[in-house]
Order: sequence, then C-alpha cells, then structure tokens
Amino acid sequence: MASLFKDLAKLSAYRDRRFPGNQEEYERALQTSTTVYVGNMSFYTTEEQMYELFSRAGEIKKIIMGLDKNSKTPCGFCFVLYYSREDTEDAVKYISGTMLDDRPIRVDFDWGFEEGRQWGRGRSGGQVILYLSFSYKYLYFYK
Amino acid sequence: MSSWRTLLLRVGDKCPEYGGAVDHKEHIETCYGVLWREFEHSKDEISELLLQCAEQLPHKIPFYGVLVGLINLEDEDFGKNIVDDLHCKLQEALSSENCDKIRILLRFLTVLMCSKVILPSSVIEVFETLLSSAATIIDEDAGNPSWQPCADFYITCILSCLPWGGTELIEQVPDEFDRVIVGIQSYLSIRKHSQDTSFIVFEADEDKSAKEKDFVEDLWDHIQILSTNGWKVDSVPRPHLSFEEQLVSGKSYNLSPISCPKQSASSSRSTISRERENYEAKLKYPQRLCRLHIFPSNKIEKMQPIDRFIVEEYLLDVLLFFNGCRKECASYMASLPVPFRYEYLMAETIFSQIMFLPQPPFKPIYYALVIIDLCKALPGAFPAVVAGAVRSLFNRIGDLDMECRTRLILWFSHHLSNFQYFWPWEEWAHVKDLPRWAPQRVFVQEVLEREVRLSYWDKIKQSIENAPELEELLPPKSVSNFRYNSEEDHGYTLSKEFREMVRGRKTAREITSWVEETIIQIHSSKFAIEVVIQTLLDIGSKSFTHLITVLERYGQVIAKLCTDQNMQVLLIDEVSFYWKNNTQMTAIAIDRMMGYRIISNLAIVSWVFSLSNIEQFHVSDRPWEILRNAINKTYNRIADLRKEIQTLKKSVLLAEDVAVKALKEFEAAETRLEVVDGQPVQAEKPGRLKRLKGYAEKAKDDEIAVREALEAKDALLARALEENKSLFVSLYKSFANVLTERLPPVSADGAFPKLRDEEDIDSMAIDLEEPSTMEMDHDNGRKDDRNSEKVTHRYSIKEQDQWCLCTLGYVKAFSRQYATEIWPHLETLEAEVFGRDIHPLFRKAVFAGLCRSTTEM
Repeated sequence: MASLFKDLAKLSAYRDRRFPGNQEEYERALQTSTTVYVGNMSFYTTEEQMYELFSRAGEIKKIIMGLDKNSKTPCGFCFVLYYSREDTEDAVKYISGTMLDDRPIRVDFDWGFEEGRQWGRGRSGGQVILYLSFSYKYLYFYK
Repeated sequence: MSSWRTLLLRVGDKCPEYGGAVDHKEHIETCYGVLWREFEHSKDEISELLLQCAEQLPHKIPFYGVLVGLINLEDEDFGKNIVDDLHCKLQEALSSENCDKIRILLRFLTVLMCSKVILPSSVIEVFETLLSSAATIIDEDAGNPSWQPCADFYITCILSCLPWGGTELIEQVPDEFDRVIVGIQSYLSIRKHSQDTSFIVFEADEDKSAKEKDFVEDLWDHIQILSTNGWKVDSVPRPHLSFEEQLVSGKSYNLSPISCPKQSASSSRSTISRERENYEAKLKYPQRLCRLHIFPSNKIEKMQPIDRFIVEEYLLDVLLFFNGCRKECASYMASLPVPFRYEYLMAETIFSQIMFLPQPPFKPIYYALVIIDLCKALPGAFPAVVAGAVRSLFNRIGDLDMECRTRLILWFSHHLSNFQYFWPWEEWAHVKDLPRWAPQRVFVQEVLEREVRLSYWDKIKQSIENAPELEELLPPKSVSNFRYNSEEDHGYTLSKEFREMVRGRKTAREITSWVEETIIQIHSSKFAIEVVIQTLLDIGSKSFTHLITVLERYGQVIAKLCTDQNMQVLLIDEVSFYWKNNTQMTAIAIDRMMGYRIISNLAIVSWVFSLSNIEQFHVSDRPWEILRNAINKTYNRIADLRKEIQTLKKSVLLAEDVAVKALKEFEAAETRLEVVDGQPVQAEKPGRLKRLKGYAEKAKDDEIAVREALEAKDALLARALEENKSLFVSLYKSFANVLTERLPPVSADGAFPKLRDEEDIDSMAIDLEEPSTMEMDHDNGRKDDRNSEKVTHRYSIKEQDQWCLCTLGYVKAFSRQYATEIWPHLETLEAEVFGRDIHPLFRKAVFAGLCRSTTEM
C-alpha cells in the first residue's frame, strides 16, 4: 500500500535472460504473472514442504521443481504457480527472505513457466545462484 | 546533503539523514530550511509529497502539520491549497466510505488547526457534521439504526482527534467545543451497546461482553479521563509548541463544508433483512481493533489508557501502510515517537491482528513475517515477549475460538521454522498425560504435525529431544499404506496388471474398459474403486507433481467409476486409507480431486461426517482441514466468477461504445450528400462506405460476442450459487444431526446445558480474571502469573462435552467465515434446518457466527 518507500527496482531485480522480448515487455509480464520463482533452496526440500509453506499465501495450482540437467535431481530452485495475482504478490512479499529448511529462500515474480525451464542452466547443470554462509545476506548471479 | 524528499520522509525519525539527532525542533528546522530553498521550483511536488506523507505516515502527522504551518507563513497560497486539497480528499473519502482515509485526514485537519493553517471553527464544523449525521443514522424515523456501526465510526473519529488538538480547541473555542462534547454525550445515551459475540476471541468473554463497555464507550471514558488530566498525552508529539511564536502570525483558512453520505433507509422491515443490513454495515465500518489481553497487568507496560489507544493506532497504521516493505515496517514498529517502552503492547496488538475476526486485514502470514522481523530487530527484548505471549495463549487455549486456534497453530509452526525449531518443549511435556481431547494436547500435536510438514520427521523429532515424552504426539512417519504388498493380498495381481498398463501408456479409455471387464463385472464396483485408487495413488505417491500427473492422465477412469455421491464417498475413504499416515497428502489428494471435479463438495461433506471422522472431531484437525479446503475451494470458484463477470461487464460497455461509434460514423458517411449537376449524390466513395459498414458490423458482432460471454458466465455463477446453497444446507444438516445426537438435553426449566462449569474454566485458564478488563489499573492486586505454576495439570472436561464444545466452535467459525455467502440463503436454512426443534446451543452457535442477535430466540 505504501507507495512512499516501495523499492522500484524490486520488480526487475532478477532478469531471466531467456525471456523473448524487451525490458518493457518483460516488466509487463512480471506485473501480471501468477508464477513465482523460488531460489536458494536446499537440494533436499520437497514439493510437499513447498506446498505447506506457499499455500499460506493462497491456493496453489502447480509446483515445478528445478532439476539438474544431468542428474535429474532437485538443484535448489523451483516455480510455484498460483491461481490469483494477489496470492502471487503475497508470496513474494511475505515469503521471500524467510527460512525453509534452514535456508533463507528468495521469492521473485517470474514471467511464467514454460517447458524446459525446469532444467538448471549452470555449467554443472545446477542452479547458478550462489549462497554465502549462514547470514541474511546473499548474493545473486543470473540463473 | 540529503534531498528534500528524503528529509521530508525521514523527519522525526532517528536516522542518518538527520545525523542521528533526536531533537524534533532541530529536525523541523533543518527540513524546513531545505524545503524553503527548493520551494520556488518544486512547490507542487512539495505540496504533493507533504500530503502523501501525512496520509501514509500518520504517526508523524504533527511534524508535517508544523512544516505546512511554517511554509504558510511565507507563502499564504500554499496553506490555502493544502486546505483545499484536504477538503477534496476528505469529501471523497467520506463518499467512498474509506474509513482509514477519513480517520487520518481528520487527524491531519486537527493538527493543521494547531499550526494555525485551519480555523478552529472549521474543525468544530466538521465535528458537528459528523455528529449530526451519526445522530440521524441511529434515529428510528429519520435514519436507519442498522447502520449504527457507521455512526459509531464517526464518533470514534471525533474522539480520536482530541489527543491531537483537544487543548487548542478548549483554549480557542471553548463554547463550541463544549457543544460537541455534549452532543457526543447525548449520542452515547441513545445508541445501543454493541455486544457482538461473533468476533470474540476468547469464548469465556462472551457472557461478559454484555456487561462490559464496548469500544466506543471505552474510548469515551479515556477521553474523559484525558480531559480531567488537562489533555496531557505522552504519545503525541507536539512540535508546534516550539514554533508557537512564529506560527501565531500565520493566516488560517476555512475548510469548505463537508457532507456525509446518507445511509439508505431500511427498505424492508423483516428481521432477517434488517439484521443482514446491520451485518453489512459492520463489515463496511469494522471496529478496527479487538483488544486481546494476553499478558498479566504487571507485565504489560504502564501507560495511560489513552496512550495505549494511540500506540495501538500507530502500530496498526504502520502495519497498514508498510505491508510489503519489510525493512521500514519493522523499523517503524520498533521506533515509534513515544517516550515509553511498548514491546508487550506491540505483541498484543500484532496477535490481536492474527486473531482478528472474521478476517484479519491481511493474511496471517504477513503478521508472521512482522514478528520474525521484529525478533531480529529487537533481539534482546522481543523474542522473550513473543514466547510469553505463546505461553499465555497456550494456557487459555481451551477457551480460544476454534478459528483462532487454527491460526495460532499455523503461525506458531511457521514462526518456529524460522528459528531452527527451537522451543522449550519440556515446559509442555505434561500434555502427554492429559486425555487425548485436552485442547493443550491437541494444540501441541497439531503444531508438531505442521512442523513436520514444513520440515521433515527426523528433524522435528530431534527438536523435541528435551521432551522425549512428546514423541508420542508426533504424527506417524509418513509412509503410504498400500494394500497390495504380497501375492496373497486380494487385488495384488489386478493392481500389478493395472500398473503395467499405466507404464505401457494405455489411454484412459482403454483402462476404463479393462476396469469394466476385469473388475466390475467379475468382482464389484466397490472393489474396482479400491484397486484403481490404491494403484493410481501409489503410482503418484512420489510427490505432489506425480499425483497431479496421474490424476490428469487417469482422472477420467476414476470419474467414470464414481458417478454418484455414495461411490465418491467410498473413493475418499480409499484415499484416506492409502494416506492414513500422511494427513497433508490426504488433504491434497482430496483437494485436487475436487479440483478436477472427480468428487463433489457434497461428497466431501458427507465423508467428513462419517462415523470414523466424527470420532476425530475433538482430537484432530484432520477432518476439519479437509472440510475447510472444500468450502474454501467452492468459495474461491464463486469469487473468481464474480471477478470475471466484473471484467466482462466493463468489456460490454466498451464494446457497446465502439459499436455505437462505428455505426454513427458509417451512417454519417452514408447520408453525406453533395450536389452534382443539380442532383444530390452520395459524397463518399463506395470503397470507404463499404469499409465503414464492415467496421460497424464487426463492432456489433464483437459486442454480441462479449454479451454472450457475459451471459454464459452469469449462468455459471447462478449455478455455482445454487450449488453453494446446497453445500450450506448439507453442511448445516450434517452438523445438526451429529450435534442433536450428542448434545446434552435442555433442562425442564429451559436453561441451556453447561458444557463446562466454572471450575473447569479456572483449571484451564489461569489468568481468567486478568484479561478482558479494559482499565489498566495496576494496584488492585491482580493475580500474579506465578500462580500458573500452582495449577495442577489435569483436565476435567469429559470427552463428550469436549466433542460438543469443539464441534459447536466449528459451527460458529464456519458460519462467521462464510457469513456473506450464507446470509442470502438464510430463509431456506431457517425453513429446512434451523426449525423450532433445533437444539438451542446449535442455534446459538450459528447465530453468533452470523452476527445475529440471539435475544429473539
């Protein structure tokens, strides 16, 4: 509600390089999206844990775990799809930066899942977001 | 040097922008200096941001008031424009019934009077407008007393302004001010005491609410005390006093008159419609806060009652305006401009929001986040306060509203998940010796269940190693309960064959005919359900996504098998059997099946009220979670349809507009003539005419298409509402049946049976006398919370009575949560369910949930 302190950079803090469009289209996609990208997860976090936490922001449509390209095992990120935009916003507002499996997870708007994006894009096939020590600060690289 | 914007935002805060200075006068002077320097070329921006700040940082309104006053000294137009803007905003807020805006703008109005920008007589005039509107509303003939919540709101607004400007009003316009006070007094003598048992968090307070002062009466008391204290309030900064000498020469303006919207007179005289109107008024003009007294009075900070009220207002405003801005929210919550500590009050206020009935202003998870952030921002003080609140709520858990219990369980498990699941569980180890239905035991068990869901079994087992007794309360280690594990099991071979077919990617159609031929015709449909569900769930057991995939691919097979409600109930039974060790997966599977319309909400209700579930009503959340999901999903469908219809309605208007314009353009072109050789001839080229005609026709087609879409949605909504009605009829009938069988009979003299006697309440709730009294009197020797140690850990409510209390609690909770959807069907429900022979306690619970007065019973 407060417009005074809203961090305007927030929407575009994370930019997916695979988005087929320009910055403006990208931002519009984020503003209407009902998908969130969740990063910095433990490799052991299950879909059911995600379900329990994220359903507190609203009814969930789908969960898509990010998998390592080579081993086909979870590699620390996932997409959660909601039915409503409001719930999506609440997930970003209220869950980002809180703990899941003892790690501060990161929740951002995503422009929408499509087949193929569940495969990690790191050199090793995994997620390319680095996680630094047990503190509330973390460093991002592009996925 | 910081920009004027930052300085304006940060004025009054302890922050680097002001070099860490805390002197308010210094802040204002610095800020004013910079603003004035920028004034010439940023006049409009300054005015705009000032108003925004006043609206969104209402706890700093006094600073913004003085800044306006100081600029007004140099540029009189500036003050005039602010006053005019304020008038516009206030009028708009009143007309659109935006309570928060009205409240805050009135405070700003009062403060501008203190800074000599607005005339005191204008403030009085506004108060009198509100007052007379309030008096009209509650007048039987001229108004509509169902709208008393609106009238109460106006009065609350006037009263809440007084801490900011009572002194000044008395000084400058004493007679007029007295008139207002007398007016309020007479309003209070006419209005009805509001005694809603619907929104009360602790059940034991229900009986008290009739005797106790309500929110308006309470605030009135505080204001009266304040007036005898010479209007001295610690929690309101009064920076204008430091600038009085300058400000006094400022030019003050009149505020143009405002008007309050007229509430419609009651159209119908029937009790139900009047009560429904009253209910709607309550939702529109809600009481902002239902105080939750969690801590004993020797713990909570000592302050004047009016200071408590003001700090609560500050906290609620920060929560309102900083939703979504984590850092600012926590830092403003933790550093309000008051000269006393308020951590306990802050905790009570946040918990009162989590428990707010019927719905908190934001999702409960927001408050969970705020508490986490405050624990980090105030690591020395706040975590202990939160722990104290949890202990106190735990002590009174048996008395807590059922909906609030669920919210507390969800919050607490989530909170602990953010702090490594650390909790001194040994304090609660004794609950293991309580009967299975003791609310404290159920609470611990459900918290552990949710913790396991957020984490994993072994981790939570480890987290309770200080209280190994509690391991008994952990949910079973989640393994599926597949029926066919050895060749001897009846169904083993069929299930194996089925699995092979799925692996071989056979289509749903092929499988359906296989089921028909090999199972139904040889065995039975019931057995077919068993084999199909067991096998499909087992294939989909690996994860949520696996389950969805299986249901998407083979849901049709199940749907063909379970066309009627009885079969669907058997199906749910089978799901529950397969996942009997995993409540979450049971709930998810049922929820998804309802989503794919394989099972109906009526089947779920019927299943929840089957005997094996009824027996769990008072010992587990499992059946209730499934019921909640089903009703919630039904509600969400309706809400979605309503939204779509709203959008379509707008599209229809748009399409209409386009069609009319296109047609006009075509017609205008067609009739345009020119004279050629003395003869009127069509002026437009035939090509253009054809094109315009084409446009007009297409626009008309579009309009028709949108209209048809709207009609289709309208029809869907009508059907959904009809389904919803059957759902509530079925739900209430089920409740009525199980309760009538188990509730103790009404005694011959007509007195309601008591499900808990006074002694029981004492044994559950330690500080019962403590809370719920409004006054903050510290000397009357209240019980010390050390008393809690003396309480013996027993639980004396009998199983059957506990079952009744619990089930009645859910009747109330469901009625309250979906009241707006239930009200339209009330006549049907009255006729079909709540007949005369219904048990009075059941009736009472429904009425309480719907906010109906029970006096007419």
